[in-house]
Formats: sequence, C-alpha cells, structure tokens
Amino acid sequence: MKRNNTADENTLAAASLGSRPYFNFSSKWSTVVLLVAILSGIGVFIWWLNIPFIEDIFTSSVITLISVLGFQLYMGNSGILNWSYVGYVGIGAFASAIFSMEPSLKAMQIPIMYPFLQKLHLPFIPAVLAGALVAMIIAAVVAWPLMRLSDAVGSITQFALLIVINVLLSQWAEVTNGPRTFTLGGSRQTTIWVALGFAILVITFVYYFKESSLGMKLRTSRDDRYAARSSGINFVKVRYQGYVTSAFIGGLAGGLYSHYILSITAGSFYMSELFKLLSMVVIGGSMSVSGAFFGALIVTLAQQGLRQLELGLTRSGFEAYGMSEIVVAILMILFLILRPNGVTGGRELSLEALRNLFRPKQYTNNNGNKK
Amino acid sequence: MESTSIFEVSGLSKSFAGLKAVDNVSMKIKTGEILGLIGPNGSGKTTFINLVTGMLEKDAGRITIDQHNIGEMQAYQIPVHGLVRTYQTIRLFKHLSSLENVMIGALGVGMKRKQAAAVAEDLLEELGLSERRDAPAQGLTFRDQRLLEIARALAAKPRFLLLDEPAAGLNEEETDELFALLSVMPEQKNIGILIVDHDMRLIMNLCNRLHVLNYGQTIAEGKPEDVRRNPEVVVAYLGSEAS
Repeated sequence: MKRNNTADENTLAAASLGSRPYFNFSSKWSTVVLLVAILSGIGVFIWWLNIPFIEDIFTSSVITLISVLGFQLYMGNSGILNWSYVGYVGIGAFASAIFSMEPSLKAMQIPIMYPFLQKLHLPFIPAVLAGALVAMIIAAVVAWPLMRLSDAVGSITQFALLIVINVLLSQWAEVTNGPRTFTLGGSRQTTIWVALGFAILVITFVYYFKESSLGMKLRTSRDDRYAARSSGINFVKVRYQGYVTSAFIGGLAGGLYSHYILSITAGSFYMSELFKLLSMVVIGGSMSVSGAFFGALIVTLAQQGLRQLELGLTRSGFEAYGMSEIVVAILMILFLILRPNGVTGGRELSLEALRNLFRPKQYTNNNGNKK
Repeated sequence: MESTSIFEVSGLSKSFAGLKAVDNVSMKIKTGEILGLIGPNGSGKTTFINLVTGMLEKDAGRITIDQHNIGEMQAYQIPVHGLVRTYQTIRLFKHLSSLENVMIGALGVGMKRKQAAAVAEDLLEELGLSERRDAPAQGLTFRDQRLLEIARALAAKPRFLLLDEPAAGLNEEETDELFALLSVMPEQKNIGILIVDHDMRLIMNLCNRLHVLNYGQTIAEGKPEDVRRNPEVVVAYLGSEAS
C-alpha cells in the first residue's frame, strides 16, 4: 500500500532515513547534554557567587530535582500517579541516616533502637546507596499485587500505601525515633557538588530508562494497555520494574536530603512534599524528563520568590503565610485546564527542538506547496 | 519452501449473563490463505477475535497453532506463538512515534532493540509511512493510523493476522489500497489472515473462504460465491422476507 510519492517527497524521505538512525545524537542524547549543561551552568554560577544562602537553596533544589525525576520516571512513563513515592523518599532518608550515623551517637540519641541497627555503620555515599536499596527492596516486596490496578483504583491503593509507610515512619520508635526528630549529628555531607554529581547521574539514567526498551514498553501501558497486551507486553511486569526503579531514585533523594538537612521527621515525607513533586511534573509536563526538570526549576523559583514576598508582607503587618502554596496550587489547576501536558507539552529539550524553534516557519498552501 | 502452519479453533463458546455470544464455533486457517469472518452486527465476530487472542476468557473450546494450545494463555503470551491482531477502533500508542509503535510489535515477541528498529524501519518503508517515522501516532491521518496498526502487528512476524474491520472509516480509494496490500500478504509473508469486515466488496474479492456467524453460531462456511447464495446467510443479512 505504498503511496505514490513525488520525487521531492522521495528525496526527503530518503534523506531523513539516511541521516536519522534510531539513536541520533541531535534528536535523542542532546537532551541529556543540554539538561546537564543548564544545571551545571547554574551550579557553577552560584558557587562563583559564593553566597551561602543561595548555595543552600540551590543544593536543596537539586535534591528536589532528583526526587522529582524519580517521581516522573514512574508517573510519566506509566501514567499512574504514584502517591506512595514520597514514602520511599522517607524510607531512603531514615535508612541512610541509620546506616551512616556513628553507633555511639545512635545509642545516645535513640537508646531504644534495635541493637543490630545501632551497630550498623557505613561511610556517607555507601550509606546513601544502601538507603536507596532498602527503599527499592521494600517497594519490590509490596508492589506486585498493586501493579494490576489502573486508573482511580490504582491511585487509591497507592495512597493507602503512603499512609501505611507514613504511620510506620512516624510511630516505629525503635527504628525512626518515632514522632520525635531524628537528628543525624555531624556536619552536612550533601554538598552542592555531591548533589550536582548525583543529579547528573540521575538525569542521564532517567532519560536512558525512558528511551530503553523497558521504558518504551511502560509507555505503551500508559497509552493503551489493551493494545499493549495484544502486542506481547506484560504490563504488570513492566510497571513493577518501573515502580521499583522509581523507588530506588526516591530513596536516593531521601538519603541526600537527610544528609543535607541533618534532622528529619516522617512529616517531611508526606502530603506537602507530594504536592510539591506533583506540581512540578504537572507544570513542567509529566511525560518528559525535560518537563520534570523545568517544572522543578519553575516551581522552585516561584516558591522562593513568593516566600520572599510573604516575608515582606508579614513584616509590613499583612499576614501572608501559605501564600506560595496557594499560588502554586492555582498555577497547577490552570495548567491542568489550559495546558495539561505542561510547559514542555510532553516533548524533550533537544538540539533539533531548539533548531526548529529558531527556524523560520513554513506554511503549506492548499496545493501542498510550502511557502 | 516455507512450512505451512495451521490455526485451529474447536468448540469455542462464550456467554455473557446467559446470552451466548459465541456458541460452539470451530474453524481452521492455514498460512497462505485469507478467511473472512462475517455476520450481522452483534453476531459475535469481535467477541470471537477477543476470545482467540486471550482478551476475553472463554467458557469452552480449544485454540491451537500447529497443535500448540494457546487457549489457556494470557493475551500478552500469544503474539510470540504467532497470532496477532488489530482493532475495530484503532488502538495505537498515541504519544509514541510511528517508529516506536511498530518497534513495540517486535519487542513484544522478544526481538532485541536493534533488530526491532530495523524491522520497524522496513515495515514503515513498505507501507509508505517512512516520512512519518518520528511523528507521534496521534498526529497521523486516519488512513495512516490504520496502516500503522497493521505494521505494528506485522512487526511481530506473525503466522496468523486477525484484522477486525480494517476498512472501517476508509474511503473507497483507501479500501482499494488496503485490498492491494492484503491480497499479496499471505503469499509474500507466508501468513494466514482472518478478516472481519462489513465491506462486502472487499470481503468477496479478498477472501479464499468465508465463515458466517449469526447469534454466535456458525450458519455457513465455504467459498465466497457459495456463501453469497446460501439462503440462511441471505435471511441473516436481509431478514426472512428476503428469502
């Protein structure tokens, strides 16, 4: 059923085939290079400014970026809102803290902690990775029966799982110090460079995941799970693999966060954190890695700006606490109504996209001729 | 010489709340031939396809390819055994590119990524969709979406292809193009085709044999010219006054 192409069309088709193999740098991997370049550029500039307050905000934002990338990995590719994700961020935060703290410090701060946990001690990076592994293992154990569920039912069960995780984190005193603050002690280990290094690795990994065979299969389950099944895709299995991978990145972000902030409670990994991640992927565009990246950038900048405004207003006698959350929530609602695929429209930033942006537009008249 | 495979269904039945949608239907298709499955609306054609592809659970019956029982398998396990389908209402992965849509057909039966990409490129070229390889499937014309769905099915290198109303929504010229594509496919690709459609011009010209369902039961089988004259078929399509 070959269409009778014109000579021009054939030349175009041949040229496009010849110059565009499936993995083409400009159309595919340039996304990673551009995102990494933007992030590193901002990071180096902030380091050069040498203003500790701004460096702190940036480091915290980069950790949030890692977290939102892990969130996007599952939500963006499977189309399922993973409410339980922040629970895994919390598990990673507590687990890595338990791994890295000096045993004597643990015995002093949390005397009721299980002895085998008190004895554990790992250096910072292995502790963060071990914490992420714990989050991944827990996800692997609980997730399988949930993966068959889709749509509202799938989301509700994930929400229920978040509640279970949150209650365990906030009440299991022998592990997490219960409702009291868990203080790591020592000095901040997640520096701007550590956060940047991990962010670069995670951007590369999440993009690679999306473009991999597994990522592609997971995206089919998002678009049409009936067609996916009849194309030989076991969507329960690919969802499971995506979910567990996402939990690992969440755990990693949690570990970096706990070693940045140095004192944590279960409340840090609950609704407000989930809302922040959700607003980032909605505003940026949940279906692309670039969407998560720019969503994190936009929401962070908006929140920081609005917080300064809040402080200014409060100082002048007008109580304005919570304004930033309200504005971000309204922004999210507006995006969902007016631009559901976010600022990126589900597309990735790439050299080709940039070239198209600056290329003069060609219009086609009724005869199909470009003008 | 390429080997002949046989897709065989025997005694297939399915009821919905007591209503027999498919009632003891049996059929056999060989590679190299095209069988048309026809019948009035609600006669059980799509239910039959959903049953043999594992999308619905059967009540009774046996489904085999070369004596290999595929009737107890999950839907996602069936393509690797050589049976794939398309849908009456087009079901594509709308946010994936045309190339990725076709690659999925190949990846789903266990091909490696590079091989899947090569197979997909060839099929897009064969079906005249190469220019649209990077475009999201949702942006294609209706005709191209129909073709893309067929390309995705063919990427699995099937021995049997089930087409559920492939001409639905196509104009006369596009249906002729579809005819040209499908008529050479069994020989070129050594596959058997089961086609469901309401376009009798397409069915009568394309199929080697016809199988007619009415109220879930087989009412006629045979060559198109014989089935056309079968009084029971005439009654099923036109009502008792026509006979």
